[in-house]
Formats: sequence, C-alpha cells, structure tokens
Amino acid sequence: MGQFTPFLRHPVLVIEDEPILRIDALDMVEQAGFEAVEAMSVDDAIRILETRPDIRIVYMDLDMPRGVKGIELAARIRDRWPPIEIVLTAAYFNEQDLTMPARAEFYPKPVQRDNVIAAMRRMAGHVEDQADS
Amino acid sequence: MTSKTEGSFIDRAVMRSLDRPLPLVAQYAVAALVIVLVAVARVLFLPASLPWLLFIPATIAITLALSRGVGYAAAVLSAALGMASMLGPLHLAELSQSQWAAGGLFLIVDLGLVALAGAFRISLANARALNESLAESGRGALEREAFVSSVLASSTDCIKVLDLEGRLTFMSEGGQRVMEVSDFNAIVGCPWPDFWQGAGNVEANAAIEAARQGRSARFIGKADTFAGTPRWWHVAVSPIFGSDGKPNRILSVSRDITDLRASEQDRDRFVRLAENSTDFVGMADTDGHVSYLNDAARRLVGVNDAGDRSLTVSDFFPPDQNEIVQRDVLPAVAAGGTWSGELCFRHFESGELIPVLYSVFPITDADGELVGYGTVTRDYRAKKAFEEQLRLLNGELSHRLKNTLSIVQAIAIQTLGTADPAMLSAFSKRLNALSAAHDVLVKESWSTASLGDVAHAALGSFDEARRFTIQGPDLTIGPRATLALSLLLHELATNATKYGALSVQEGRVSLTWSCEDNGNGAQLSLEWVERGGPPAIAPTRRGFGSRIIRMGLTGSGGVDLRYEPEGFTAVMSAPLEQIQQA
Repeated sequence: MGQFTPFLRHPVLVIEDEPILRIDALDMVEQAGFEAVEAMSVDDAIRILETRPDIRIVYMDLDMPRGVKGIELAARIRDRWPPIEIVLTAAYFNEQDLTMPARAEFYPKPVQRDNVIAAMRRMAGHVEDQADS
Repeated sequence: MTSKTEGSFIDRAVMRSLDRPLPLVAQYAVAALVIVLVAVARVLFLPASLPWLLFIPATIAITLALSRGVGYAAAVLSAALGMASMLGPLHLAELSQSQWAAGGLFLIVDLGLVALAGAFRISLANARALNESLAESGRGALEREAFVSSVLASSTDCIKVLDLEGRLTFMSEGGQRVMEVSDFNAIVGCPWPDFWQGAGNVEANAAIEAARQGRSARFIGKADTFAGTPRWWHVAVSPIFGSDGKPNRILSVSRDITDLRASEQDRDRFVRLAENSTDFVGMADTDGHVSYLNDAARRLVGVNDAGDRSLTVSDFFPPDQNEIVQRDVLPAVAAGGTWSGELCFRHFESGELIPVLYSVFPITDADGELVGYGTVTRDYRAKKAFEEQLRLLNGELSHRLKNTLSIVQAIAIQTLGTADPAMLSAFSKRLNALSAAHDVLVKESWSTASLGDVAHAALGSFDEARRFTIQGPDLTIGPRATLALSLLLHELATNATKYGALSVQEGRVSLTWSCEDNGNGAQLSLEWVERGGPPAIAPTRRGFGSRIIRMGLTGSGGVDLRYEPEGFTAVMSAPLEQIQQA
C-alpha cells in the first residue's frame, strides 16, 4: 500500500458469532487502538476480506458451529491471503489438538485481554515492517 | 463234603488198597509170602486130596487186595507150590498124569478167577470214581446255586421274573429291599406294568410286548416303591428263552437312578445356565481348540456352525489382540491364574471389531490338571458407545463452561468499563485459572486429576513458566481439591510475579510435594518455595487472594506461610484421603 497507515489504526477483523463475546472483542480491539471490523460468520468474513485488502490481522473464534469448521477457515485465510496474521481462540479445542496455520497464535477461552492485545501489537509491528520494505 | 458209602468188608478192603497201594515189589513179596504160608498150611493141616483148596481164596484175595498182575503171579506160584507139595520139590517128574492134569486145570481155573476178581476190582474202582465225580458235580451245582442266589440277594438292582403276561413270578431279595416289599406273596402274580405311572406305564407295556417277541427293551421311568417312596428307575426288559428257543418268561432288571438323575438335573441346570446366558460363554482345549460356545457367543462373533471344531482361540481376535492373548492371557491362565481385561473380538463374517471384557479362567479335571480354558466374556459395545457418548458430552460440557466463563468475563468487563484495568485483569486471570482446572478435570470425566497436571495447567499460563520447578510423585486428586489447588497456585504465582521471586530476573520458584504416613493415614504435603527474589514481607492487606491461600488444599487451613529474608515459603498439608475425595 502506497499510503501511510497509522500504526494504531490497523484494521482488525473480529470473527465471532456469539454476540456478547463479539461486543467484548470489538471493544478490546478498539481499546487497543485498532480499527475493529466485525464479521458474524465465516461467509461474512470471507466477503469482508475480499473487499478490504487492508485487513492484515484477523481475530477469530474457532467454536463457530455453523458453516465451515473454524480451523479450516483459518487455513483458507492463510492460503488465500498469506500476509494476514491470525489470532485464534476457542473453548472446545486446546492448542495441542489443532493443526495451527503458520504464524498463527492461539489463546484459550476465557482469553486474557493483555495477552491477545500484546499479540496483535506484535503482529501489527510485522505488518509495519512489511509495509516499509 | 465226602460221602463214603458203607460197603462190605471186601469193598472196604478193596477201597483201602485202591486208596493206598503198596509199592510193586512189596505187593509181589506180600503175595509170595501169603502163597508160601498157604502152601505150608496146606502141607501141615490139609489132606493131600485137597491140594488146591486153600490157594483159590488166597489168590482171589490177593487179586482183589493188590492187583490183577500180582494175582496172576500168585496163581502161577500157587500151582507150582501145590504141585510141589504133593511130592516134594525134588520129585516133580514122578507126578502122575492125572496130577499134572489137575495142576494144569487148577492153574487155568485160578487164572480165570484172578481175571474175574481183577475185573471186579477195576469195576469197583470205576464205580467209586464215578460215585465221587457225581458227588463232586452235586457239590458244584449246590455251590453254583448258592452263588447265584447270593448274587441275586445282594444285588441292589431289582431283578424280577415275569410270565409272558407280565405278571410277577419272582423278585430278588435285594430287589425286594430296594422296592421296599415287605411280603412278596402279597404281590406275586400282580401285573408288573401297573407299578408304573404315566409314561412309564406305556413304556413298560411296550417292553413286555417286545420281550414276548424275543426282543430286549429298556426305558427310564418313575415308580413309587411299595412303601410309597417316589423313585426313578432305569429298566432293562429281556426275554428268557425256553429250550424250544421261544421266550417263555421275561426278565426285568430295574436300577434305582434317583440320585443319578438328581445330579443330572443339577448338571442340566448348569448347562442351561451357560446356554441361556447373554454373555459370551466358551471353552477351549489346552491346545486352543474351541470345544464349546453358547448361543450368545455364536451370535456375538457370527459363528453359525455349532459343530465346527476347527476353531481356535486365535480366530476370535485381530492379530494385535491375538498377540496379547497368546503372550499374556493364556500363559497366565495355564499357570493357574485368571485373566480379565478389555480386548476386541473380530466378527467372523463382517470383520467388525467388537470391544469386550474378556475374562479367562482355567478348567481343571478332578485331579487339578489343566484340561482347558473357560471364558465368560461380556459384550462391551454398548459400554464403549456409552463411554464415547460420555466423552463427547464431557467435551461439550467443558466447551460450554469455558464459553460461559468467556461470556461472564465479557459481561464483567463491559459492565465495569475501564474503571479499574488492574482489577479486571486479576478477575480475568482467576477465571482463567478456574478454566484451566476444568480442563484437567475433563480429561478424566470430572472424577480425578493428576496433581502434576493440575500444577502445570495452573502455572503454565504465566510468562515466567520456565522458572518453575515442579516435582513430586504421581498422585490423583479429587475435583474439589483440583479447583482449590488451581486457584491457590494461581494466587501464589500472581504474588510471586508481583512481589516475590518472579519479580526479579534471577528468582525461581519450586513446587514439590510428597506423601507420608505418620500413623493417621497418608498425609499430602506440598511446598512452594521462592528463592532468588527480594526478602519476603508479610502483606498488610488481606484480599481475596490471600484468603484463598489461607484456605489451603481442603478449604480448612493446614497452611504454613513463612516470610523470610531469602524468600517466601508456603507449606500446605492435608490428609490424602480428603484430597482424593470427590
């Protein structure tokens, strides 16, 4: 991208079908200084990613019961948009049960906001580096 | 039994000589002596006109008493001496022609008499031998009769003889005892089939009919004894053939099989127990060949041919399971033990694996020698399906619980806003510790957890996780202790991060536990030791965290906290039994 994007206003796509958790996740992302983009379902998320090439960080709940399994969507995002960084959470899975996409990070529910925000900031740093180079 | 027939003197003398014959030389000597004495007597006492008179009885007596051969010799000697006595030995040539003739005549007559007497003697001997053998055979017949009647009397079978109409004509003594007959005369002539009840009566009539036609028959029936005791009998009925080769009487032998039948009924019940069991019941020889399978067994594994003796134990298992059976199970059982464990059978047709609880025990003969293997095996498919269902439900429950904790956390944060970020963070971390404890519990279906797992789960989320040393024996603890210990370790670790050893780079924490039995049951002791950090100072304020710590492992204390210059130490102990309770 040619234009300068302020570090803290990177858009983060939050994919979460549970309304209360979505509200909280959006709040967390915004408080951390990111732009929060919300997706209520997997299909929703794909559509948004197709129209928002500036989204480089995805925060996603793997426990979504409808549609494709969460982890498969994560793998698809990794394949289709390799530069996108992925932060995953789940109640149903543990990290050791999952085949994690490369570079993705996993935080079990209930998540500790500090950890997730720290991860997102690290990833935003990578994105900055990529943009600079 | 010796019967000596009293006879005449001659008879007795002859018998005596037959019984005790003299040696041959002695016989001739005695005969010669007698004849010489007779000759002397004849010279001394008798007139010359009767030269032969005394010789005749003497030779007859000698023949009867000794033998014909000796008699002939005596006759010849008599003739010689008789002739000699008439003249004297030196004047033989002077005998008249008539004297020679008389002497020759005497010799012929005397030899004839000897022959007659000898024949008499022989016939006497024969008669005696015949007599003796007759007596002997009479004795034998009596003995046989006594033997047969003692056999009949002592046999515990009821031996009866019936006429062709089936009427009772004889019953053995032993038979009367087992039939409890007090007076045989009261039942003689009664129709025997009438003694039988129900089906036995039909069988008895059929057996009589068969015997009339010359065939044997046997049956098992029920009949009361004459004293009214119900008994089961095994009966053999056979014709007794007369001299014309046709049946003229009927033999019936009944044996009391009441006890045998009772034990057969017992055994029958055991057979039905195995047959009707819904568990897999089977038996194999020591070489592994299957000798018995009940219906449930055949259904379970899909074996249709009941008589297939070529099956072996190995055929019931997939290769990996068979290896366990051959290596562990059968040797253990052959050594006299039993084996029980979860294995999988393989269905003979579909190849489907069937989870079972396989229990094997030795089958021994009366001497205790191993003769085969027995098994009662339970179909575990339903149990396994249930366990799988339970596991899924557990996973689902755990998922929902953690999701709910997430929602609680979201609500708390959204409710409290940004008022106190530190407080929200502490809250969220405690929720996390709780959630980690549930994770550990769900692994064992919420029943128990390994202490090591609990410690790693509680401390693993801390950034400084590498600085913990966690050590202790394998122990399982109950769900309550799991939750208490998880929250407690979380608070200790939080404090260590904020104020203790983990607040500086070099600080370390060790968590160790051990079990000791001091006589009042096993006691678990858990030690949290911080070293390398700043001197420990007791907190002035007591918050929720310090209360959790003071509650200890069981919620009732047993916690010793030491704030020392080299660092903080917490020693917690509780009876192991309480820790392991649900």
